Amino acid sequence: MLNEFPMNELPANDPRSVWKNQTTEAFKMSADQLRRKAQQRQRKSRIEAVYTIIFGLMVFVFFARTFVRVHEVAPRMGLGLVSLWCINLAYQRSKRFWPGRRVPDAALDTTLQSYRSELEKRRDYARHVWRKAGLGFLFLGMATFVVPGLIKSLDAPRLLLLNFGPFFVLLAIWCAIFFPMMKRQQQKLQQEIEGLRAFERENRP
Amino acid sequence: MTTFAVRGPEPISAEEVSQDSLYEQTAEDYGPSLDRLARAYELDPEARRDLLQEIHLQLWRSFAYFDQRCSLRTWVYRVAHNVATGHVIRQRRIRDRLVSIENIETVPASDQVEFAVGQTEALERLSALIQRLKPLDRQIIVSYLEGMDGNSMSEITGLSPANVSMKVHRIKNILRRAFQERTFEERRFEEGGHHAK
Repeated sequence: MLNEFPMNELPANDPRSVWKNQTTEAFKMSADQLRRKAQQRQRKSRIEAVYTIIFGLMVFVFFARTFVRVHEVAPRMGLGLVSLWCINLAYQRSKRFWPGRRVPDAALDTTLQSYRSELEKRRDYARHVWRKAGLGFLFLGMATFVVPGLIKSLDAPRLLLLNFGPFFVLLAIWCAIFFPMMKRQQQKLQQEIEGLRAFERENRP
Repeated sequence: MTTFAVRGPEPISAEEVSQDSLYEQTAEDYGPSLDRLARAYELDPEARRDLLQEIHLQLWRSFAYFDQRCSLRTWVYRVAHNVATGHVIRQRRIRDRLVSIENIETVPASDQVEFAVGQTEALERLSALIQRLKPLDRQIIVSYLEGMDGNSMSEITGLSPANVSMKVHRIKNILRRAFQERTFEERRFEEGGHHAK
């Protein structure tokens, strides 16, 4: 049905002829080059994962040091939670970089399934961003750390504004941008996923 | 002859030889098609070369698992499209602007490229159209342009033959319109030139 006439007999202004007649580069890698490339890729991914872990640990050490220096219970708990959050974040991010074995799936799945599962991964992250990024830990830690100081400063409103004003303004701006953006993204992805699922249902025997 | 210096003294297994020979056969048979496929997903030459390299690498890796459950052609195109789709999905800004083939007409006219006059411009126009499409529609249009039949497209994408043929019909209309506009404009241009003489 689609091959009404062979490619070489297509009229010059036919889009398929335009497409097929474009100049292409002769690209080929030897098996040796491919092996080397695959090993390089694996090494690079591991290095990135290790860097992420090191960065996470450095931030952890910073908060842990502050944890040791602070003597009040509530701020200490807050700092402890934030430190744990750093470790969790480093772990989650390094998991993303660590070289996986995705190839068999990528090849066995139809392009429709593969596309849908990629979108689902992104949707799930947007949907469970609190859990996946450990935001609950972070916010709880920050609140436990900040609230006692905030209560103490209630008697001196100017000090309160100077010490906590910039922090809360930045936090509010971040929340106002980040969460609606995640929500919008999630809705858009969900819509597209549903469209793809409908296609899959139609193709089911 | 290929040497496997990276592996050192380790012997190369039969699977690896078959993996290499499958890759070589694929690069030979589908090299130009893969290059065109990469063009459909990435316009920037540098990034396109990287994408093409990634496609070749993933294809070679995938051949370690090739069990002939589907034809080699289907396998090659699935891997290539899946890798390229991943490339598009990662670029969020681009991903958000993509439209489906059903909505392509609603794209503002100002976004469209100038009417093409020659083969190069026609190709640019075609590429610009493809670049606006969502991955699944892009896969269909590329397969159509490569001259595949409906069953092959269905096997690669996982869409039903009815859906494929509906999409192809739509693609044909859009392309026909785009290229008729071109010939009409060309004709008008030529006529204008002729009268001026």
